[in-house]
Amino acid sequence: LSRVPGEHSPSLCILADSREISSGPEVISFLRAVHGLRVQVCSLGTSDYVVSNRLAVDRVLQSELQSPGNRNKLSQRLQRLQGIFQRICVIVETDRVRPGETSRFFQRTQYYDGVLSALVQAGIRILFSSCQEQTAALLKELALLEHRKDAAIQVPTEPEGHRRDILNFYLSIPSLSYGAALNLCHSFGSITAMAN
Amino acid sequence: PVTAGSIVVPYGHVIGNEKWRGSEVAQRLQGKVRLIFEDGLGLVDFHLSNRTCILLISEADLVAGDEFKRRLVKFRNASSLRGIVIVEKTQISDQYYLGVQKLVVLELGMVLLPVANQGEASQLIVQLVILFLGLQVREQSRDRGANPFLRKQRAQPAEPAALQTVQHIPGVGKTKALLLLQHFGSIHGLCNAAINELEQVVGQTAAQQIYSF
Repeated sequence: LSRVPGEHSPSLCILADSREISSGPEVISFLRAVHGLRVQVCSLGTSDYVVSNRLAVDRVLQSELQSPGNRNKLSQRLQRLQGIFQRICVIVETDRVRPGETSRFFQRTQYYDGVLSALVQAGIRILFSSCQEQTAALLKELALLEHRKDAAIQVPTEPEGHRRDILNFYLSIPSLSYGAALNLCHSFGSITAMAN
Repeated sequence: PVTAGSIVVPYGHVIGNEKWRGSEVAQRLQGKVRLIFEDGLGLVDFHLSNRTCILLISEADLVAGDEFKRRLVKFRNASSLRGIVIVEKTQISDQYYLGVQKLVVLELGMVLLPVANQGEASQLIVQLVILFLGLQVREQSRDRGANPFLRKQRAQPAEPAALQTVQHIPGVGKTKALLLLQHFGSIHGLCNAAINELEQVVGQTAAQQIYSF
């Protein structure tokens, strides 16, 4: 395995939630086309991306952190993630300026600073990105970092037939991440072996 | 002198590095938190608590070159404090941001927060102070409800979850799942059941399906 940073190894793999196809299509394209990563789109449900066996990444728009209306949704989501993953990272992405719209002036609110402080205190890692392209680059960096720490996803991510059923069985166990379920799938010959 | 060790911060106070006396950030902080200036803080700009401190990187630091990087690495190597790096990300310094972020967050494992100017920096520091001090108070009263992102430890009942999981076996719906769990007690028990034991509970066809799964 190549351990040189910057040089992409074929085993580098990221799981993306299927919702990201519509909300962050460029992120997925850049990951595949520019960075040469294997991106497996699946219905993660919990986080936007799973970068390694222990790290989940959520992509949040800056405007979402600005409005108190999202507070409950965001905190519930991140609390759930904390129950499942050892490490959580939030990528705060600057909102896209729509054609015809002059660049919106970002008015930093106390509420926004409060949310950032709360994230810091909860031990959630925060990265800032100005567009989907940069988000993709950050995801790649995170995947490389986790790979160097031997936490990368290294099992096949597309089980078929009977294994698919077994994966769904594992996925229904509470607090088990998609990656962990995949690992169980591949390290045990049968559910009986796992249960024992 | 390189000082990065912890100092004792009186409760409800922020200790600022002497070099910030009279600056915009200090002036804006003064009305909101109790700010004390001290000499010889070395690498650190502000101490929020005994464990948490702030390193402020200005636009000028970014443009001037790599000196600030040496300072951050020195801090990281010398100190066990939680360091929060606040960086002035302006139109001029924007081009350096990604590089700084890679160093601080990914390589050094510290927290990095961008602000547009010293005014925003002071507003952010106030919020950090509120949160970090707020927690100290609440921990004493055993209530950690303040931070919405800190996970509440809540035990989930196991039975409904087991019931859900068992229904993922082909041929098993809600009724059979209930029967199976009543009979074998757990998923572990179910896995180790012999085929004739299964037949007694759910009939031949389903038993075969479960057994082969």
